[in-house]
Amino acid sequence: MNSPVDAENNSYWDNRFSRTAVKLLPGGFFACAGEEMIVTVLGSCISVCLFETQLKIGGMNHFMLPETKNALSNQFKDVEKENKQSYVYQDSNAARYGNVAMELLINEIIKLGGHRKNLTAKIFGGGSVTRSSIDIGEKNINYIKEYLALENITITKQDVGGTHPRKVYFVPKINDVYVKAIRNIHNNTIEQRETRYQKTLIQSANNVFYL
Amino acid sequence: MAKTILFVDDSASMRQILKMAISAAGYEVTTADDGKQGLAKAEEQRYNLIISDVNMPNMNGIEMLKAIKAGRTNKFTPVVMLTTEAGDEMKQQGKAAGAKVWVVKPFKPDQLLVVIKKLIG
Repeated sequence: MNSPVDAENNSYWDNRFSRTAVKLLPGGFFACAGEEMIVTVLGSCISVCLFETQLKIGGMNHFMLPETKNALSNQFKDVEKENKQSYVYQDSNAARYGNVAMELLINEIIKLGGHRKNLTAKIFGGGSVTRSSIDIGEKNINYIKEYLALENITITKQDVGGTHPRKVYFVPKINDVYVKAIRNIHNNTIEQRETRYQKTLIQSANNVFYL
Repeated sequence: MAKTILFVDDSASMRQILKMAISAAGYEVTTADDGKQGLAKAEEQRYNLIISDVNMPNMNGIEMLKAIKAGRTNKFTPVVMLTTEAGDEMKQQGKAAGAKVWVVKPFKPDQLLVVIKKLIG
């Protein structure tokens, strides 16, 4: 599932950028008002870097959509057949997970005093890193573009798709991003991490509480 | 007559997703973008059920709920909180404010429909 990063235990001093860097793994999200840099490595997952243009604060997440086509109820499928115009309707089950990944990050920024209407986005990832991830990367890219359009959040920069993983460095305070394409992959750590994360998404938990 | 539900959430995509899910089951859904707008709509008209997010700009869901319970129009309308907040402390705040059910996102439409049926039929 998606959870906030424990920044204290997942940060290091980055000599090259002369900043404290907070590491994000799949499912993580982090927002800050300070000088920190947020770093993550993406295969077919997506990272959205949100910037609050008035307060000069921001944050980043790292997520992907679950494969849940067959988990849809029949009743829902009928409605979706009639509404093919948007991704939200085509696979609303996956869209609800994507929505939550975004909402968790947006809520962190709102808690820091930010406003939804001041947000802009930079999006990265969604690569077809392995043969099996071709659809996954593309699905994630399509979803996030539609989500941001629907939420009226402007995309100011993007580096998505392709066949390589990426390392993304984001400094929220100045809305600056540095992306490094990873051309030589020596092992399948990135893929394994993302697959493990995706599996946790479809585990059903008890999430209804009568008070 | 169709039963009426007021849904309050600051996310446009979430409003769209939920509206689709519960309209399909025959409920009449009205939406509001934040707590302030939700409260204004709850003061105008009586609903059979209110479903609300917690973290929203202008007025959050808990504050809105308290204001609704303090008013007349929807004082006795059952309220479901639908949120990413999963902590017990938040749930207790919701309970104290008068919420009946706490649903943690992501939810399945069927789960939510079971809750709605239980509360208002």
